[in-house]
Amino acid sequence: MNLSDSKKKLALAGVVCGLVAACLAYFGNPANMAFCIACFIRDTAGALGMHSTATVQYARPEIIGLVLGAFIISAATKEYRSTAGSSPMARFVLGMVLVIGSLVFLGCPLRMVIRMSAGDLNAWVALIGFILGVATGVFALKKGFSLGRAHVTNRMSGGVLPVLMLGILVLALATNLLNASESGPGSMHAPVLLSLAGGLIFGAFAQKSRMCFAGSIRDVILMRNFDLLTSIGGFFAVMLIFNIATGRFVFGFDTPGVIAHSEHLWNILGMYAVGFAAVLAGGCPLRQLILAGQGSSDSAVTVLGMFVGAALAHNFGLAASGTALNAETQEVVAGTVPLNGKVAVIICIIACFIIAFGNKRSEGK
Amino acid sequence: MRKKEMKLVITFHTTADAMAMEKACQEHGAPGRLIPVPRSISAGCGMAWCAPLSERERLLGVMKERGIEEEDLHECLV
Repeated sequence: MNLSDSKKKLALAGVVCGLVAACLAYFGNPANMAFCIACFIRDTAGALGMHSTATVQYARPEIIGLVLGAFIISAATKEYRSTAGSSPMARFVLGMVLVIGSLVFLGCPLRMVIRMSAGDLNAWVALIGFILGVATGVFALKKGFSLGRAHVTNRMSGGVLPVLMLGILVLALATNLLNASESGPGSMHAPVLLSLAGGLIFGAFAQKSRMCFAGSIRDVILMRNFDLLTSIGGFFAVMLIFNIATGRFVFGFDTPGVIAHSEHLWNILGMYAVGFAAVLAGGCPLRQLILAGQGSSDSAVTVLGMFVGAALAHNFGLAASGTALNAETQEVVAGTVPLNGKVAVIICIIACFIIAFGNKRSEGK
Repeated sequence: MRKKEMKLVITFHTTADAMAMEKACQEHGAPGRLIPVPRSISAGCGMAWCAPLSERERLLGVMKERGIEEEDLHECLV
C-alpha cells in the first residue's frame, strides 16, 4: 500500500502513529510524554551510563523500534539505500543542538505537538520559536546552504545503527548491565514488548509517510505544500481526542505533573534552535531516526550527536526542570531553565548560524 | 481537486541544487516549480523541479550552463 500518494492516506498514517502514542501513554509512558524522541534518547543514554541522572535512565524500546521499523519496512519495500559522506561532523553538532534545544524546552517537536494536544499553552508558545527556526533554516537554504551530497556506500554501512539498536535491545532484555530508574520519568513506561511493537509500527508508518515535523513547516513556507502537515494533523487530532476522553487535557500554563515549564523566552529559543537545526540537518529528531533506519549513515551520525547532546544536557545541568507539586506543602513549584541551559541554547543558535552560512553550495559542482 | 498530469520531474543530490535550479529557471524565464520529491520516486524528503514534458531539452540546457547536476529525470503524474 502506498501511504503517500494522497493527503487522506498521509492523514491516516498520522492517525495510526497517534493511536500508537495514545496507547503507550495509556499503558504507562509519562504524562503527555507519550512518545518523545529527545526524552527517550536521553533516557536511553542514561541507561547506557552516558549520564548519571538517576530519574531519567531507561532503554526505551520505542527508539529501538523506530530505527528497526524503518529498517525493516525500507528493506522490504526496496527503499533501503546505504548512503554517507555529507558533512558528518557538522551533522553530529546539529544532532547535539536538536537534543539540547529540546531538553531546554522539555520535548522534541513530536512531544511539542503531543503537549499542544493536551492543552499545554507552553507548547503553543514554543511552536512560535519552532516555526521561526524553520523559517531561518529556509532562509539559509535560499542563500545556498548545503552540507554537500551524500554518496551511495557499502550496503553494510547503513545497517550499523540498526544493529547497534538491536544490541541495546538484547542488553535490555537479557542482562542487568543497563541502568533503569526506580523513580521519576525513567521509571514510567509501558510494558517492554508493547513499547517495542509501538516503535516498530510508528517507525514503519513514519518511513512510508515521510513524516517530519520540521519538513512539514519547511514545505509550507517554501512551496505552499501541505502534504507533510497532513500527517501531523492526523496525529494531533488523535492525541487531542485521547487527552480529552481520558481527562488528560489540562488547559493552561502552570500545570504541575506534565513535565513542562513556563519560561516563555526559553521555550521559544529552545525550539527555535531545534527548528533551525532540523532544517539544516534535513529532518526533525524523529526523521533522523527514520532516515538512519533506511540506510543514511549521515543521519546515524546525527543520532549519535543526539545521544551525546542528551548526555551533556544532564552532565552539565543544561536541561530544564518541569513545574511540580511539592508533596509536603502542596505548593506549585515553577519549573525553570538553569543558567547553563540558557547559555547552551545561545551557543547552539550561534552554531546553527555558523553552519548555515559557512556551508555554501559550490557553483558548478 | 486538481487533475494530475504527466510531468517532467528532475531530482537533485542536494536541496541546495534544487534551490539553485529555481533561481536559474527564474533568471532564464524557464517554466516549472519546486515540489516535494514525489514519494513514488524516492524515500527522501527533498525537493524536485517539476515542469512540462516538452521543456526537457531547454531545462537540461539551463542546468548545463549553470553547472547544476541532476540526480535523475523522471516522467510521472504530479
